[in-house]
Amino acid sequence: MTINTLSQDGVQRQQMPCLTKMERMIISMQDPDMGIKLRNQRLLITVIPHAMTGIDIVEWLIKKFSISDEEALHIGQLFVKYGYIYPLKEPRNLILKADDSPYRFQTPYYWMSTRWPASELDYAIYLAKKNIRKQGELIEYEKECYNALHKRINHTWDFVVMQAREQLRASKQRRKADRIVLECQEQAYWLVTRPPPGTLDNIDYGPERRTMNTRVQLNAEFYKKEIEHNRISLARNRVKSSICLESYVKYCEQYQPHDPIMQGCLPSNPWITDDIMFWNMNSEAVAVPTKLRVECWSFSFMELLNDPMGRKEFLTYLEKEFSAENLCFWQACEDVRHGETSKIPEKVDEVYKQFLSPGASRWVNIDSKTMEKTLEGLKHPHRFVLDDAQMHIYFLMKKDSYPRYLKSELYKNLLARAIVPQETKKSVFPFMRRQRHSSPSPALATQTGEDDGKAKNSNSVKSNSGTASRL
Amino acid sequence: MGKDECKTMLDALNKVTACYRHLVIALGSTSDSQNLREELKKTRKKAQELAVANRTKLTTLLKDKSISKDDRAEYERLWVLFTSSMELLEVDMKRSLEIGQDFPLKVPTRHLIQTGMTGSTTTVAARAMSVQNMKYEADASIDTVDLKELETEIAQVDQMMEEMEMKVQVAPWAVEAKQEAGAELKSTVSVGNSSVGVISICEEEPKETVEGETGLMKVFAGIIFTAVLLIAGILGYLVINL
Repeated sequence: MTINTLSQDGVQRQQMPCLTKMERMIISMQDPDMGIKLRNQRLLITVIPHAMTGIDIVEWLIKKFSISDEEALHIGQLFVKYGYIYPLKEPRNLILKADDSPYRFQTPYYWMSTRWPASELDYAIYLAKKNIRKQGELIEYEKECYNALHKRINHTWDFVVMQAREQLRASKQRRKADRIVLECQEQAYWLVTRPPPGTLDNIDYGPERRTMNTRVQLNAEFYKKEIEHNRISLARNRVKSSICLESYVKYCEQYQPHDPIMQGCLPSNPWITDDIMFWNMNSEAVAVPTKLRVECWSFSFMELLNDPMGRKEFLTYLEKEFSAENLCFWQACEDVRHGETSKIPEKVDEVYKQFLSPGASRWVNIDSKTMEKTLEGLKHPHRFVLDDAQMHIYFLMKKDSYPRYLKSELYKNLLARAIVPQETKKSVFPFMRRQRHSSPSPALATQTGEDDGKAKNSNSVKSNSGTASRL
Repeated sequence: MGKDECKTMLDALNKVTACYRHLVIALGSTSDSQNLREELKKTRKKAQELAVANRTKLTTLLKDKSISKDDRAEYERLWVLFTSSMELLEVDMKRSLEIGQDFPLKVPTRHLIQTGMTGSTTTVAARAMSVQNMKYEADASIDTVDLKELETEIAQVDQMMEEMEMKVQVAPWAVEAKQEAGAELKSTVSVGNSSVGVISICEEEPKETVEGETGLMKVFAGIIFTAVLLIAGILGYLVINL
């Protein structure tokens, strides 16, 4: 077999949607009443029908879709770029000119298609044909491609030569006008699919994905699997969009005061004012947390656990309740899940000794079924062996300890102590105002210099130019 | 001999593949018609017959363990030619199915793409079938009926190619082509010269057409010159004799 660039599952590949749309438009252009006006192309002796001018195409697009001149020209360009229409005067220049330069439609076989990408064998045959016709006078890059292909698919080179000769002989059977059209079509196709170096490649097929079983046997087994798969997909749980949108709105309302972009952040946004108080006040080891942060812990258990300070507070609370081992166990399980693979066996061992073995120092209360399953799994420890136990403990904490924590004195005191930071006062004195921009590009600096000539007071000019010089 | 038989059969298959591709290119365009669909069907069937014949012949030859190394290399080369031909045929069949489905003939508003090709493809099909004239006997609904047959035939071809891959152990990369680069330029007198003038027309630059004209001029000048020479020779002879 040749080096087959056509993917083995060529049937399953989908045509790009934009190409399908373009095809539909091309077909609608063929309408005898509403389609494009076509003329004849005169070449010395032969007359070839079905040519149209660039301006015809643009006008038709404007009339049909009621769009502006510019947009019609742009869409027309796309047609030429993707090879649905090709120019007759300057074939190598794939642009649409809105004047009377002639164009013609491409035959469906040569339409751009992601389902049928051009193969190397085809290109080799085309180059061989061109070589024969031009008696060896190929263009530079074509010569290079030819030699490269000769090396790459050398084993079918005989076939390439044979097929090239035969295709030329077959085309000789047609009359002259058709032969000319055939050659122009083929040339246009290859100019689009194998563009000369230096021009843009119009289509990106994406990386080749070669599946393991390339040819699927369409037998009873296959269809049984398909039916099963579809049945499971049908039975999937679906939430009505009204319900899920409601909860989405609730979520947004709840979190809106906490969002720095929507609500602004106090004391001030560090990215704008260069003042890092905000980060300092919300760091892990701060004595007094901000009110927003403490409020956030009451939204969900995960929020509490994700905040290191929250986790510490919760641990203190659990110690008072004598159930701190739950949180420690949960943390240890997280460590196993997210840690290094090589250390997993020893970590799991530690966890077992500390939390799970009968008579352990910090024994956690897991129901018997989960315990049995976990102990079974410990014989062959892997990353997720403690998942069931961890989930059990997590839900235990969430249902039991967490609501009590939120009602506890500890939490309420912390909430009362929490501070609301003061917004930094914008200093009136102009030289104190530090209005730095985050991206100090020279273009921006020169532009601000220009803009300030139009409006704004002289103070901002001074401060801006000051910062620009500093940058 | 086995080899020559194989070669002629492969040549035939090659010819039919080239003609089939030519016909599929015309599908969906203004050269498309009832006749074209029938031609496609006939060419396809012929291609399949040839393919099966080739395959059986080559598999028996390759399965034979008692052949010499050179022979085996030659058969492997022929095998690679055969598989490449089949690949092209398979792709063309699939594409003709797709295009045939997109451009049905028996609809009230037929929108075939006006590509400028208006001639018929009878001669190409006749070449493929190796007959002088094509006879058309299909009924009106050939475009839809044929597509169903085409689907089954594609499945058959797929299956055949799979079997081929399994049964015959030929390493394609180990095969060396006999022709070197540029081999098509030799021994192609019939194909080359006559089409050169035609092709230059569809290239860019009007100067190409001028070249064609100066070629004509050259031929004219040559004819006139030889005529003058002849007349001069005859007059001279007469003068000398008289």
